[in-house]
Amino acid sequence: MADPAEAPRDDVTTDHSRSSSAKRASALRSLLREPLVHFLFFGLAIFAVLAWRVPPDDPASRTIHLTREDQARLSVNFAEVMGRPPTAAELDALVARWVREEVLYREALRLGLDEGDAVIRKRLAQKMDVIAASAADAQTPDDATLARWLRAHPDRFAQDMKLTFDQLYFTGRSRAVVGRTLIDGGADWKKVGDPVSLPVHFEEASHTTVSSEMGEEFTRALERLRPGKEWQGPVESALGWHLVRLTAREPGVVPPLSAIRARVEDDWRAETARQREDVAYKTLRDAYKVRIDK
Amino acid sequence: MRSYWKLLGAAALLTSLSSCDMTVSTGGSSPAASGDGTGTVPVAAYPERVFWGDTHLHTDNSIDAFGFGTRLGPEEALRFARGERVTATTGIPAQLDRPLDFLVIADHSDGMGATRRLYDAPRMLIRDETLRRWHDMMHEGPRGSQRAVAELITAAANGKLPAALRDPQRQAEATEEIWQKHLRTIDRFNEPGKFTALAGFEYTLMPDGNNLHRVVVFRDGSAKTGKVRPFPGLGGEVDELWDYMDAYEKKTGGHVLAIPHNSNLSNGLMFELTMPGGGPMTAEYARRRAKHEPVVEATQIKGDSEAHKFLSPNDEFASFGVAGWEVGNLPLTRRTTPDMLGGNYVREALKRGLTIEARTGANPYRFGLVGGTDSHTGLATADENNFFGKHTGNEPSPTRAASPQNLGTDQGRFGYHYLAGGYAGVWAKANTRAEIFDALRRREVYATTGPRMTVRMFGGFDFTSQDFAGQGWVKAGYTRGVPMGGELADSGKAPVFMIEALKDPVGANLDRVQVVKGWVDASGAAREKVFDVAWSDPETRRMTGGRLPLVGNTVDRARASYTNTIGARQLRTLWRDPEYAAGQSAFYYARVIEIPTPRWVLFDALRYRIKLPPEAMKDAVAQERAYSSPIWLIPQKRPATT
Repeated sequence: MADPAEAPRDDVTTDHSRSSSAKRASALRSLLREPLVHFLFFGLAIFAVLAWRVPPDDPASRTIHLTREDQARLSVNFAEVMGRPPTAAELDALVARWVREEVLYREALRLGLDEGDAVIRKRLAQKMDVIAASAADAQTPDDATLARWLRAHPDRFAQDMKLTFDQLYFTGRSRAVVGRTLIDGGADWKKVGDPVSLPVHFEEASHTTVSSEMGEEFTRALERLRPGKEWQGPVESALGWHLVRLTAREPGVVPPLSAIRARVEDDWRAETARQREDVAYKTLRDAYKVRIDK
Repeated sequence: MRSYWKLLGAAALLTSLSSCDMTVSTGGSSPAASGDGTGTVPVAAYPERVFWGDTHLHTDNSIDAFGFGTRLGPEEALRFARGERVTATTGIPAQLDRPLDFLVIADHSDGMGATRRLYDAPRMLIRDETLRRWHDMMHEGPRGSQRAVAELITAAANGKLPAALRDPQRQAEATEEIWQKHLRTIDRFNEPGKFTALAGFEYTLMPDGNNLHRVVVFRDGSAKTGKVRPFPGLGGEVDELWDYMDAYEKKTGGHVLAIPHNSNLSNGLMFELTMPGGGPMTAEYARRRAKHEPVVEATQIKGDSEAHKFLSPNDEFASFGVAGWEVGNLPLTRRTTPDMLGGNYVREALKRGLTIEARTGANPYRFGLVGGTDSHTGLATADENNFFGKHTGNEPSPTRAASPQNLGTDQGRFGYHYLAGGYAGVWAKANTRAEIFDALRRREVYATTGPRMTVRMFGGFDFTSQDFAGQGWVKAGYTRGVPMGGELADSGKAPVFMIEALKDPVGANLDRVQVVKGWVDASGAAREKVFDVAWSDPETRRMTGGRLPLVGNTVDRARASYTNTIGARQLRTLWRDPEYAAGQSAFYYARVIEIPTPRWVLFDALRYRIKLPPEAMKDAVAQERAYSSPIWLIPQKRPATT
């Protein structure tokens, strides 16, 4: 059973009609405020999909025509699942199954079995959403689009701050003060500090990682320290007291598009699909008068 | 217009039909993400930090989860686990305080996607009366849906699922499609060094409703896991699962392990002394079990399985989280009798393992311990103040705490019996599939009931207080001893343990650290003893009559709050077994206990301004805990067999 959220790949060829529609729509904004125009527009777009998707037979007709292209599509689908093209016998079986489904399907429509069925109603509504969203799903956005997206939502892609430091742990503040004095007096820092199950060295650790291990207050304290080669502190954490040698602190930056392209594309796709669903629905909805009795 | 809609319908349904046969490429997943992570990030010489995760999460691909109403899939589950904000099925925003480091999505292999198909099926085509009734109930709304699934679980437990749900051919096709799609999704989210997404499924063996479920976890990416399908578990015996696992490893060169869970609901069957179905356990069976099942899930939402007071009358902290669960098996079709408890609880299983080993030379129950959520909401939450429930029927709401739940309410199980827990702490050398899996395999893992306390334990014979007091103690632990999960060959000397516990950095202080020892005495009987080995405020809390005074209680029930004015942030001890006897076969595990804190029901009471029933209030404060994997002391004469 298909997940309604999945974009049917076959809709690829509909992109042109709809994305160029969108461009024209923005140019002719004033005219397109008319709900009726909206409705016709989307009707046309959907019709364009159908004209391509469905064999040109009328479901009401009792002629079924399976073109070579349709058969090729069955073959390709088979090959994608099985990793090889179907044999002649398998293709025959695929065609027979398709024809069988088509016959039963048309008869079901003739009997009106699609009406008054909550599942089909819901399903068709979902499909409308899918059609609206599918352009975003099938489309491969260009770098300019994604770069714009990245600029518009830096907060979603900004990397955490990176902290590189060594820490020595002490069970109490006074012990930490003594430790600091020892180190300042030239003692080997590796021999200072109380034993604990914490790493001494943190390399480019994120704010989240440090907070998970030592608590938020410690990370905030680290943000206030000056990076350098000397030991600083004592600084308190949720677990005790620490001397810290903060060697590097890189602020959270937004990485270049090339480094996070897949992530940006995912985000762009998800949000664009949602927006298209909303816009499509709003356009259709505007053409309706809805009365809800109280 | 009518024909227009018909046409549209034609298009829509054709689309759905054709996309049934399509694999959807996701793109964007690198070889690093789709493999086991080997060679992608630096690997430490030995584990330096603990990685946190849930080895047991369900999404809407699980037959029961979807039926309960859950509409969050693997993608949302992964986003949530890595720290993003998502919207729960019931519309409530959900986010973890702290991200997890790894996640195993373990949807039921049986009927994968089946409830969704039933829900989506045209009513007139459902000929089976039971299925049609469930279909109607599911469309009625959440309540009906939950009732339908409760019936479904009971039917599954009794082997009475309608034939259409058991049709192997149809089910296999559906499972294949969901599995392949799922594997690509987790590959996409698997980021070596940052977040590990492991492939897995739940094997739901349940004779007569007695829970013998296992979570099956793979080490590998989709190149290998895509060559098999999740193995169904309704019916058959567990050794068929092991056959499946062997076949996977042989076919792909990959690795897989199984994690039993909810032994507490197995009516004595999870950790039997005998073969399944009776007769003395054979060495071969014991060896096979230990090889395939190196870890057990000791605590989760449906109760804690560490220890029961009936079996451990001298353990004042036993029977944590057993209320409601101890009365019967999973769907409560059969009650639990005291003679069954031995096969239900982990500590007893560890003891049974020693006695079986004494007889056969092989220990079937030499396992490590993890916690998992078993959440069916797609949300791996184990924090008391952020608990999203067992399934969508008890996501946060004013009524959930006192509400009846689906599994045996008429016999005394209610919403407040659910535990907000648990998680797995994993001492791995890097955050990759291979390293997390290998840590599970070597049992260097521990269970917590939710809080993320750090627990470290090494066993050896010549650790000194000097080793322990210096910065090099971890290195000494690894080079001159074994970490948790390890095995020590008896050297005629009492074993010494270096144990450290750190509080959860954002959680409660620690009350005490205990060592639980199990051994076989001279007469061949299994024994146990709990030692308090480190505790807060030792100057004022003195042992009297072998008992340590309670730590106290700072919980303000009206505000669902506590203060860290009692307890300790860090507890450590170098502990030598004072009762060691040469040649003894024994295990030792650490149990770390927090100071009392509010349970999720108190947070609910505060959030929704509701009054809880007295039974819920009685159990509204708890001392959360961690269980380390044991270290085994193995007599020389009988070498380790696993």
